[in-house]
Amino acid sequence: MSFLVPAALGVAALAGPLLILYMLRSRRRQLDVTSTRLWQTSDVQVTSAVPWSRLRWSALLLLQLLAIALFAVALARPFFSQRTLLGPHSVFVIDTSGSMAEGDRLDQAKTEAVALAADLSEGNLVSVIDAGPHPQVLLGHARKPDEVIAAIESLRAGGGEADLSEAIRLGRGLATPDRPTNVIVFSDGGEAPLPEEPVAGATHIAFNNIVDDVAVENLTTDSTGGVTRGLVAVANHSGGEARVELAVTVDGRPSMQLVLDLEANQHAVETFELDAGAGSEVMVERLGEPDGNPLDDRVWTVIDEDAVHSVRVLGEGSPYLAALVAATQGFELGFDDGDVLVVDRGVLPPIDRPAWLIRPESTPEGLELTGLVENVPATFQAPGEPVLDDVDLSNLVVAEAQNVAPRGWSPIVRSGDVPLILLGSVDGHRVVYFTFDLTHSNLPVQISFPILGAALLHWLDGEAPGTVASGPAGEPIGISAAGGSEPIVIMPDGSQRTLTSDTASFGDTNQPGIYRVSYVDDDGTVTPGPIAVRSFVATEAGAPVRSIDTSTDDSTVDEPGVVVREWGPWVIGALLAMLALEWWIGHQRPWVGRAA
Amino acid sequence: MLLQQEMRSRLDRLALSPRGRVQALWSGGHASLRKGESLDFADYRPYVPGDDFRKIDHNLWARLGQVLIRQYEAEEELPLRLLVDSSASMSLHQKHETAMHLAAMIAYLTLSGGDRVQPVSTPGPAGRTVAVGPSGRHVSAWPVIERWLEGLEATGRAPLSPAIRSLIGGSPTRGPVVLISDLFDDQWERALDSLFVAAGGLVLHVLAREELSPDFAGDLRLRDIEMGAVVDISTSEEVLGTYRTSLDTFVSGAANRARRAGLDYLLIESGADAPETALRALLSSGAVR
Repeated sequence: MSFLVPAALGVAALAGPLLILYMLRSRRRQLDVTSTRLWQTSDVQVTSAVPWSRLRWSALLLLQLLAIALFAVALARPFFSQRTLLGPHSVFVIDTSGSMAEGDRLDQAKTEAVALAADLSEGNLVSVIDAGPHPQVLLGHARKPDEVIAAIESLRAGGGEADLSEAIRLGRGLATPDRPTNVIVFSDGGEAPLPEEPVAGATHIAFNNIVDDVAVENLTTDSTGGVTRGLVAVANHSGGEARVELAVTVDGRPSMQLVLDLEANQHAVETFELDAGAGSEVMVERLGEPDGNPLDDRVWTVIDEDAVHSVRVLGEGSPYLAALVAATQGFELGFDDGDVLVVDRGVLPPIDRPAWLIRPESTPEGLELTGLVENVPATFQAPGEPVLDDVDLSNLVVAEAQNVAPRGWSPIVRSGDVPLILLGSVDGHRVVYFTFDLTHSNLPVQISFPILGAALLHWLDGEAPGTVASGPAGEPIGISAAGGSEPIVIMPDGSQRTLTSDTASFGDTNQPGIYRVSYVDDDGTVTPGPIAVRSFVATEAGAPVRSIDTSTDDSTVDEPGVVVREWGPWVIGALLAMLALEWWIGHQRPWVGRAA
Repeated sequence: MLLQQEMRSRLDRLALSPRGRVQALWSGGHASLRKGESLDFADYRPYVPGDDFRKIDHNLWARLGQVLIRQYEAEEELPLRLLVDSSASMSLHQKHETAMHLAAMIAYLTLSGGDRVQPVSTPGPAGRTVAVGPSGRHVSAWPVIERWLEGLEATGRAPLSPAIRSLIGGSPTRGPVVLISDLFDDQWERALDSLFVAAGGLVLHVLAREELSPDFAGDLRLRDIEMGAVVDISTSEEVLGTYRTSLDTFVSGAANRARRAGLDYLLIESGADAPETALRALLSSGAVR
């Protein structure tokens, strides 16, 4: 046991005066009695010539000495130290991916994190990052354990895949210059190794409980030949055989049941005919006892109204565009009114539908042409932007590009301050703007070009009413509010989120299910928007537990800290109990008989 | 008023019943050491000139040829000496008031029985050992005696033994003695022993609740209100236990010595109901009938 204020132990010297007081002849209260004859043998008489008397030990004296000792110890603030992962600034990166819903991994992680947060001492900081598909800072630089604990308790596992790299990077971004920062990752590790391993300056607390689980992984529909078929993929992540009973519902009504017998670790696909038309909501749900992961027991889809959307190209056009549209599933070139308009150079037409504008002669509303720049390489692409998923434009070079000043547009690819690709909205329609001619760049020969093109077409088409866009849990939903209308998202659990009119995407989609977007005009008119189906990421089901290779060699990171636990409250409690006992003895005199 | 009318009415129906034989100047209703004029035959003695001829037993004279005088039990009045301790030690805890009430009760009981009572208080005035009160042998003397008792104050120091000696030794009669005292006297044993020469009697030992079970706390300097002695105590279970032991020894010793001297003993706790308690105890012991 150590003391924070050891000098306060000197208060114990008060025991000296106390003993002196006990040894000094006391001034006695005089009492007249009828006779002292019977008291003669009761006590030793003390004469006034002797100032001191022999110290007579009593329970009260002992209690008072003990109380002084406890008082001195309490003032000296006794403590014991305990090693902890907490440092001057600790960033809790807590994995909320689908695999953390397996067993009680997330609950364990929260328990561990709460236990650490409870040790948060004065002067130390804690930040909390929700490491889902799109990591976000839940709490930054908090000093109060209650706030940290509340943030931790608010975490929920979703159906998506955690972006641990981004979460750790985000955590490092919270580093404060005046104090070392350590990142503590609460995760089962996920399936894929992190791009950067060993991860410097981080500590991984792994959760490795593995439970039996059957996952309903995927559901798609196909309407050809006048027949609608469903296709469901199921995986048995258990160690033994499993009989899987599935219930199919269409628009909330039971449709049929399927039974599959699966071997251990077997994946199976089952097809079935559906009595359902376009726009119907189909759900396949596993029946039976709850298994290891409740999030992968259901899967949804919405039968799309029109499987193929037309793209009309205006302007000069290029074979790259034609090839791109032809290669993109769900799109075809059209010559009349298309669902999506592509303007490849030439005159800018009125924007009355989603449009992809490739270096038109004039700029649309919100973009001001300030000049031209030559030989500009791409130096920045917006992280986390859905249309840039799996797109690498680091080798993109443009011979000549317009230099535009965007107002209300979002540059997603830039060369320094020069925007190359922008996303925006004109008259309530989504618009993609390329400041360069495809033929004056090496974009068409990039491996990412078809991926980028397909993503842009899907993004543009995503605003159509009733358009169904499926994706993994956590993938944002594109929002395009026309004319200042207010977007509303109906969540899978039926709750409603009202967004601002300038919201471009909605990212709180970590829970699997169907998200319906609608727009409310000023006059109260509700216009249906796209429908987004977010599914549990199949790789998160039965994901193996993996240790993240970490290293603490980074000089910016302290050694695991030391938490100081004070005994003060216990000592003060004992002191109060002692004083109460002393009062009781002093006033009640339990051993002094009152009546003969 | 020391005795209410109700109490006096009750006492009128009762009488003292001493265990010893009395020796008094006037004949009364109690057996005397002297041979007297009652109908109860006691003994014979030789005739001496001056004897009453009527008491010569002619039958024995004829048979034995000796002139013998027939003696009878003397029927004498009960000359009760009532010694009340009025020392300073009686001044606390209603002990003096209790003693006065007890004395009044005993005195009235004696008077109502047609016996003589002689109240005496110790210490007496002006350094004397005792103060002798008005004597009486009829309830008509009761108001005078009551006034005298009411005038007594508990003050001064009173060694009991000299008071008893002066009471018994100075009296030509032998009768019962009633001693009302707390017996807080250095020579209380000798005082009780000296009562042996009395013709029985009663010791009413008056102690206060504060003396029987003291409730002291803390460090105290106890001052003897009569003797002026000082004792310092630090109250503890041990100290109180020692006191209780001393008290038990004191009370049991007083009772034994009183009985050895031929006196009844009664421990009375001071207070308003002390006379009633004492009367019940006296009735149950047969000292009063």
